[in-house]
Amino acid sequence: MMRRSPTWPIHLALTAVCVVMLVPFYWVLKTSVSGENIFSYPPNIIPQDPNIFYYVDVWYAIPFARYFLNSVIVSAITIAANVVFNAMAGYALTREFRGKGFILMLFLSCMMVPFQATIIPAYLITGQLGLLNSYVGLALPQFSTIICIFVFKASFDAIPGSLIDAAKVDGLPEWRIVWTIMLPLAKSAMATNVILSFIWSWNNFLWPLIMTRTPEMQTLPLGLARFLSYQEDTTGALYAFCIMVLAPGILLFLLAQKEFIQGLTSGATKG
Amino acid sequence: MDAYSSSRRNGWRGWLLNRFVLVPAVILGVAAAWDLYASTHDDGLVAGQVFDAQGKPVEGADVTLWVFSFTTFAENRSVKTDADGRFRIMGNPSHHIQVSAVKPGLGSSQRIPIRLYFRSQNTTLRVPLVLSGKAHDAPGHPARSASAPGRLDL
Repeated sequence: MMRRSPTWPIHLALTAVCVVMLVPFYWVLKTSVSGENIFSYPPNIIPQDPNIFYYVDVWYAIPFARYFLNSVIVSAITIAANVVFNAMAGYALTREFRGKGFILMLFLSCMMVPFQATIIPAYLITGQLGLLNSYVGLALPQFSTIICIFVFKASFDAIPGSLIDAAKVDGLPEWRIVWTIMLPLAKSAMATNVILSFIWSWNNFLWPLIMTRTPEMQTLPLGLARFLSYQEDTTGALYAFCIMVLAPGILLFLLAQKEFIQGLTSGATKG
Repeated sequence: MDAYSSSRRNGWRGWLLNRFVLVPAVILGVAAAWDLYASTHDDGLVAGQVFDAQGKPVEGADVTLWVFSFTTFAENRSVKTDADGRFRIMGNPSHHIQVSAVKPGLGSSQRIPIRLYFRSQNTTLRVPLVLSGKAHDAPGHPARSASAPGRLDL
């Protein structure tokens, strides 16, 4: 019988790595409840006189609820569009057609073009569509992301082709094959899409900065910039704001982390 | 058994009773309860008592409410204490305030910083305002830095 090597050294190393990675988060959280100056020496590991009043300050210093609602609406639109469009594109890329290799290369090459390089055409197109300063316009450039298309493609590739053939024999149209057969079998890819598109949309700063015209349409990252511009003595309140902005993303990740990891690793191994 | 497989097995109950629904539902429930509490306790009442340096209640002292405005505290309104030295300020519009008292001949108190959990929260000071006893004391010096978060003296 093979003797198993002890696992505690691995766990110890992983714990040490976790601590190193979590320290910045802890520090932000600690500062948000203590307001301690980040340059104070020696630093306090445990917060002194913790309170939540910096969170109250943030809530009233800017229209936080409005920014939060805007971010939620834009993220919801982005997520819905990402799941639909990326699933369709991912399914198309699992089929054989002329020029598929070229399309794949085009997608891969487009991934290397930063959004800053295409922001002017994106702005002009959004303006032509009459979507400037609107929720749909805020979400439009992120309706589909190439990485997420490949996540869906990898997940769909793992589904046996015989299943699709059987559905076709039964007379199902392509959109029903995607909706009723492929998507239920690719939930981890869907979770990955949801998380990634949410985080990218939630943290997006440049596009909302350019295309929003009124404060009522601004999102949380813009609110943070606005908050910094006129709030003095911001240490505690700034960190509280960061926690309030980060919390939904962290919560979503914690809820769907298992599916997220599955989605990212699906297709990575064979057999 | 994960949320998805349970949802497939139990139909609509599975769709409702999983972490993707329950966690947001709990958060919304807590937020709704907090909103309900806040909406029933936001009359802007600030109550307390004023004593002189010997610990006796002071009648007719001027108690001033200072409200945080952008970077400084601005005077908002004043009331007078009753025979027991008690005061009730109504209509506090803020969540970040200070309170001070002054009476000619008995001096003035320090400003007591008060941090509230929501705007216009009803609050009663546990610590009384104590007049210095110095007749020519300038009223209304802050008890501590205006930007420092004071403990909630409710």
